[in-house]
Amino acid sequence: MSENNPLRPGAHESVAWNFKLLAHHELQGFGGMGEGLSIQIAKDGRRILWLAHESAPKNFTALDVTDPRKPRVVVQTDLPQSHMRSNSLEVVGDTMVVAYQVQKVGLQPAGFEIFDVSVPEQPKSIAFVDRSGPHSRGVHQLWFADGEYVHMAAGAPDFEASHPLDDQFYQIFDIRNPSKPAEVGRWWLPGTRKSDAAPPPVRHQKPLYDMGFRAHNTNVYPQRPDRCYLGYIDGGMFIMDISDKSRPKPIAHWDNSPPYHGFTHTILPLFERNLLVMTDESVVDNADDWPKLIWILDAREETKPIPISTCPLPQREAFAGRGGRFGAHNIHENVPLPTSWQSDQIVIGTFFNGGLRAYDISNAYQPREIGVFVPPAPPLAPTGAIQLNDVFVDERGIVYTVDRHVGGVYILEMDF
Amino acid sequence: MLQVFPSSQAGLFGRRQRHAHGARIPVTVMTGFLGAGKTTLVKCFLQTSEGRGTAVVVNEFGATGIDDALLRSSADETVLLGNGCLCCNVRSDLQVALRRLVSERERGQVPHFGRVVIETSGLADPSPILRTFATDRALGDEFHIGTVMAAVDAVTGLATLEQFPEARRQVILADRLLLTKTDLAGAGTADKLTRALRRLNPRAAIDIVTHGQADPACFLEGQRHEMAAAAGYAAEAVHGDDIQSFVLGEDSPVAWNGFARTMDTLIALRGADLLRVKGLLDVEGCSGPVVVQFVQHLAHPPVELAAWPDGRRDSRLVFITRNIGESEVRALFAAVRALARG
Repeated sequence: MSENNPLRPGAHESVAWNFKLLAHHELQGFGGMGEGLSIQIAKDGRRILWLAHESAPKNFTALDVTDPRKPRVVVQTDLPQSHMRSNSLEVVGDTMVVAYQVQKVGLQPAGFEIFDVSVPEQPKSIAFVDRSGPHSRGVHQLWFADGEYVHMAAGAPDFEASHPLDDQFYQIFDIRNPSKPAEVGRWWLPGTRKSDAAPPPVRHQKPLYDMGFRAHNTNVYPQRPDRCYLGYIDGGMFIMDISDKSRPKPIAHWDNSPPYHGFTHTILPLFERNLLVMTDESVVDNADDWPKLIWILDAREETKPIPISTCPLPQREAFAGRGGRFGAHNIHENVPLPTSWQSDQIVIGTFFNGGLRAYDISNAYQPREIGVFVPPAPPLAPTGAIQLNDVFVDERGIVYTVDRHVGGVYILEMDF
Repeated sequence: MLQVFPSSQAGLFGRRQRHAHGARIPVTVMTGFLGAGKTTLVKCFLQTSEGRGTAVVVNEFGATGIDDALLRSSADETVLLGNGCLCCNVRSDLQVALRRLVSERERGQVPHFGRVVIETSGLADPSPILRTFATDRALGDEFHIGTVMAAVDAVTGLATLEQFPEARRQVILADRLLLTKTDLAGAGTADKLTRALRRLNPRAAIDIVTHGQADPACFLEGQRHEMAAAAGYAAEAVHGDDIQSFVLGEDSPVAWNGFARTMDTLIALRGADLLRVKGLLDVEGCSGPVVVQFVQHLAHPPVELAAWPDGRRDSRLVFITRNIGESEVRALFAAVRALARG
């Protein structure tokens, strides 16, 4: 079948297979959303979905999703500067932490902010942690699930990277006293700090893209509070021993690039099954960094993770020309909170213009696609296509997925 | 696999599913004798909002095809219809055509259809088609039969049923019967036909359709509905072509090995006469109901559901057989149980 075959679906066609759209909310015209989605059950019983915006001018939005068919904006806040973005947030109880990253090193404010959201309409700032510096862009991503520690990918005032793209590394902050957060530990890939004795890592060479050796997701779960599952972009994945939080130590490393394109993003451990689910992020338009995948790894031997399968994707040609990115990014991460769905049988991920896809991984060697949701390109989409960026599933099984540019949030029901 | 990467979220038969069909593509089989109005029914369904994203597979295009203009302009076997639908002309092998459709869908070469409607040729016995979907070695891994419908011409239906065993088979195996052309038949004729259909198939729903406009919901009915209907109806003998239908029920949990052994025996001895067996089992060690399905010699892989559909926890199995009586099947189950007890 040729490229211009009339049967080939286009960017304005939608697919909803085994997902049912309950509601779509454009978030008051500010529908460019990042990778921070978290649910709070407010004191009055309302279910509030907190969403981080992908870029300025908005900081975060709270959406009442008590009735998932009738979402309602509770509050939407502005960033103090246009050169910054929030991108990532997490809520535990009535405490919310929000990441702040700036466009260029040296700008402010860069760091993270802690809010009291006990009255969702009026988030109150409790503390701001400054991570700005002459060589820092601040915080890109954070993980906060135990109500005590923030694990994050961040620059620091005292850190100069050996390469500008390697500025964000793994840091742990104790916020048990939320008005006085304190750094307790940090780890960076040896060689990425200018003063390191180790040589800098070998950069990705063309045709690969050099995206940097820095931290992305920093997941920590109560089943193994002494482990951090760390995505390190072009450095691959690390399992960190954090039994002593002041000295995180890598105990396992796996890197698919080269020959793959790197940008290791998330590592989701499925503890009972001894599996890891690892995602790449597609970061180049028109699928020029194809294939960006969800990988399944055998983790029976913790120090020696072995890739055993990937989640199948449509052919590159089916989506590459639709506009924007096409490939893996975020997955539902079994956030260890009562408001989060938990599954070690199904993986749900976002693939930018490839939409939202669900996989049955009950046979870990042969993941099967069991659901697809590709909404039509939202009006004014700058790439001309949907760019689904992140996904979260609440404990009711309601799926929230967001567009990176304009589409806002899509609320879905699973049917598989 | 389960032994290598075990999970308490999976049971004896893998992931517990919300529906028996899991994520497989639902198939509606549209049967009916020549001239009964199948094509019109399918065409009307495709134009409804519910019909959006349907792939139609036609055994052979008749004089009044799904869309003559489009078909004539296309050299390809698959053509795009309005409403995001596809039409695929099967000149040879249904399995090959369906596999090709799935592969093209996965590669993004055709719209992502969510349902298949198979329009059989008028003379077709639906059994071979149902058999094709009953095993993962054929198409059972990707597709599941949602509902089987038979269009019956109210004017000529009675005569056709008397003359042609294929027509009777179509009625017997259907989940729903659609009476067409009732405006042309006298009231007496339609009533007589309805009674004849009831005798052949007491469990099927019977709908009267005018101008080809069936309720689109008929096409969307899935296993769930069918299971509920099957569980609810009383055992009634069907008097036609020596075909019988009955329900076996069991209140206490069933041991899977014993059940599997009994069905193996039944299939080995009389597989050709097990036209359809399906139902829910309360299997020892499983929290949800296990859906089982057999068509003649083929067994569909069992699926454990996440929850009992109606809160009732018991085994209910519907048999449609040829010359196998209820008492014989019961005796076989009892004998295997006794053997197992030793």
